[in-house]
Amino acid sequence: MTGLTLALALAIASTAAQAADPVRGETLYEECIACHSLRPGVHGIGPSLHDVFNRKAGELADYRYSPALKRSGIIWTVDTLDAFIADSQQFLPANRMPYAGMPEARDRADLIAYLQQVAK
Amino acid sequence: MVTRLKEVDVVVVGLGWTGGILGKELAEAGLKVVALERGAMRTSDNDYSLPNIRDELRYVVRHDLMQNTARDTLTIRNNPSQEALPMRRLGSFLPGEVVGGSGVHWSGHTWRWTDMEFKVRSQYEERYGKNFIPADMTIQDWGITYAELEPYYDKFERVAAVSGKAGNLRGQIQPGGNPFEAPRANEYPLPPLTTILASEMFAAAAKSSGYHPFPRPAANASRAYTNPDGAKFGACQYCGYCQRFGCEANAKGSPHITVIPLAMSNPNFELRTYSWVTKVIKDSDGKRVSGVSYTNLLNGEELEQPAGMVLLCAYAINNVHLMLLSGIGQPYDPVAQTGVIGKNYCYQTGTGATLFFQGRRFNPFMSAGGSNVTMDDYNINWEFDRGPHGFIGGYNVAAGFNTALPIGYRPVPSGTPQWGKAWKKATAEWYQTAMNIGASGAVMANRYNCYDLDPTYRNALGQPLMRMTFDYKANEHKMGQHAAKVVNDIARSMNPTHLNPAVARTQPWTVVPYQSTHNTGGTIMGTSPRESAVNKYLQSWDCHNLFVVGANVFPHNASYNPTGPVGALAYWTADAIKNRYVKNPAPLVPA
Repeated sequence: MTGLTLALALAIASTAAQAADPVRGETLYEECIACHSLRPGVHGIGPSLHDVFNRKAGELADYRYSPALKRSGIIWTVDTLDAFIADSQQFLPANRMPYAGMPEARDRADLIAYLQQVAK
Repeated sequence: MVTRLKEVDVVVVGLGWTGGILGKELAEAGLKVVALERGAMRTSDNDYSLPNIRDELRYVVRHDLMQNTARDTLTIRNNPSQEALPMRRLGSFLPGEVVGGSGVHWSGHTWRWTDMEFKVRSQYEERYGKNFIPADMTIQDWGITYAELEPYYDKFERVAAVSGKAGNLRGQIQPGGNPFEAPRANEYPLPPLTTILASEMFAAAAKSSGYHPFPRPAANASRAYTNPDGAKFGACQYCGYCQRFGCEANAKGSPHITVIPLAMSNPNFELRTYSWVTKVIKDSDGKRVSGVSYTNLLNGEELEQPAGMVLLCAYAINNVHLMLLSGIGQPYDPVAQTGVIGKNYCYQTGTGATLFFQGRRFNPFMSAGGSNVTMDDYNINWEFDRGPHGFIGGYNVAAGFNTALPIGYRPVPSGTPQWGKAWKKATAEWYQTAMNIGASGAVMANRYNCYDLDPTYRNALGQPLMRMTFDYKANEHKMGQHAAKVVNDIARSMNPTHLNPAVARTQPWTVVPYQSTHNTGGTIMGTSPRESAVNKYLQSWDCHNLFVVGANVFPHNASYNPTGPVGALAYWTADAIKNRYVKNPAPLVPA
């Protein structure tokens, strides 16, 4: 990817994020809530999403992550979360999240906008 | 020395669906509840998550979530002239033994049994005359109606996140659903699961033969869902590891993610695991029970838990066992036909065909617990005239995959060697190309199919084992022949490359291989103490503060899976206790 297309892609992503609807995102979070809480330290089948942004993947000491996630070196940002939620096995093979993915870009943008409001 | 504990209002024996429902409801009603569970605490987060849960050897072959037969099992025989021998390894049926019980490892199939079961004797007598029912077939009406249970079915379906399509909404037949079901007040809480190729092909073939296929209702959430109690479900991922496993995606309706955590968050409720209840203690007047005796399996300590009310909520077989061990009610004698405890043990029957389609890829590793298509044309409807066929009850026919795993699922055309190079080649060649069509049939009660205490063999605590006497009778054989023909006709109409046809079973029943964890009867419900162990509220006729909850109260077995009425009856009993019994502790039905 050239510097220009990368910049363009990021610009589009951030435009999408700006236009995103966190209220709709809260409804979409229903797909995650059975496994992921937003409260600090409260883990279900998946880890808590409290303070997830700019966190290194697999770094919470009290959650049992997959080796794939621990050694991924991923930092959770709008873009990495977007790619992970879209198709987590393609983005990070051998991770343990049993979730088929959220195919619509707008849905993901709304969900991430909601997380940006509440996951802190 | 026995440690006597402080009295509580309610002791619940066994913490699966029924114990969880009653424990939660009664704790919320303000009663002090103690639940005693023989198994361990297990949670989705720690035990049922990826990747450890996907272990066929541990969970399917070695029965990790099931009753430990080295500690307690049953002895088995086909008829009273035989000597029963202990079942040393689980096989035909698999009682769960963890917090959540069999509700953890079930597939989620949730049916509404109708008045065709609840009024079985009166309806068949009315239609075909008294002589149609064989003299040794001890079927009876249940003393409850579909109309009474309907709101409780609805309640259970909402709690357990059942996905399905209504076929009869308030009397209006709905396209896409089961046209033979009894009227429902509401749609299912969730839309049907996504169909898979095997079920689609079966549905098309059944339809073109004039049948009425529909998606099987199952407590596998077809999308993310919050139940009326606030419990959160993820969407089913069709992972293929459903029956025998806890759900890795919180998508299967199970007590350990619904009613049990809600009960446990209530200060009125206390759970004690590794607690094996050995006896229900009768009060000195014989009209009440005063609590239970149990053993702490971690240290062998014997304890007594006094309680104002005892609810037996263990697996169906173990509830009956406890009644016999406690000497409550008169044990059933199949020769003299006296007594009721142990009477009308029933199982299920079935047959199936395997179809091979060269070149098709069914991807059998990908399915939900309930991604089957089913038809009830020979089941819960009177349009199917039993007169010419001479049997009572019915069977459903279904196709689709459920937990087709690498060790156990190895379909090969009949005639293939069972081991060696040729078998290996065939299993690789045909794995992707096979699908099944199966029939699951009812078993009517028979005077010789029953439970009692074994005279010889004892469990780890020195108590007599439960003895099961069971075999299929003429009714099941006739039904099996009818079902095999229907299955094979549909299968042949699909023009498979190879067909392993369905064969009606004629051999005596055995404890191997796995068949169905749908054991019913033993403490049956009814309208009088002469012919039943409990009344329509599952209250013991002998001791009014004892309730026996589970499929053990079914007077016969249907073709359907039992958990729908088991869950509905638990809510029905909870209401009877909360609204009536607590205010006036006495028999809820005059004897």
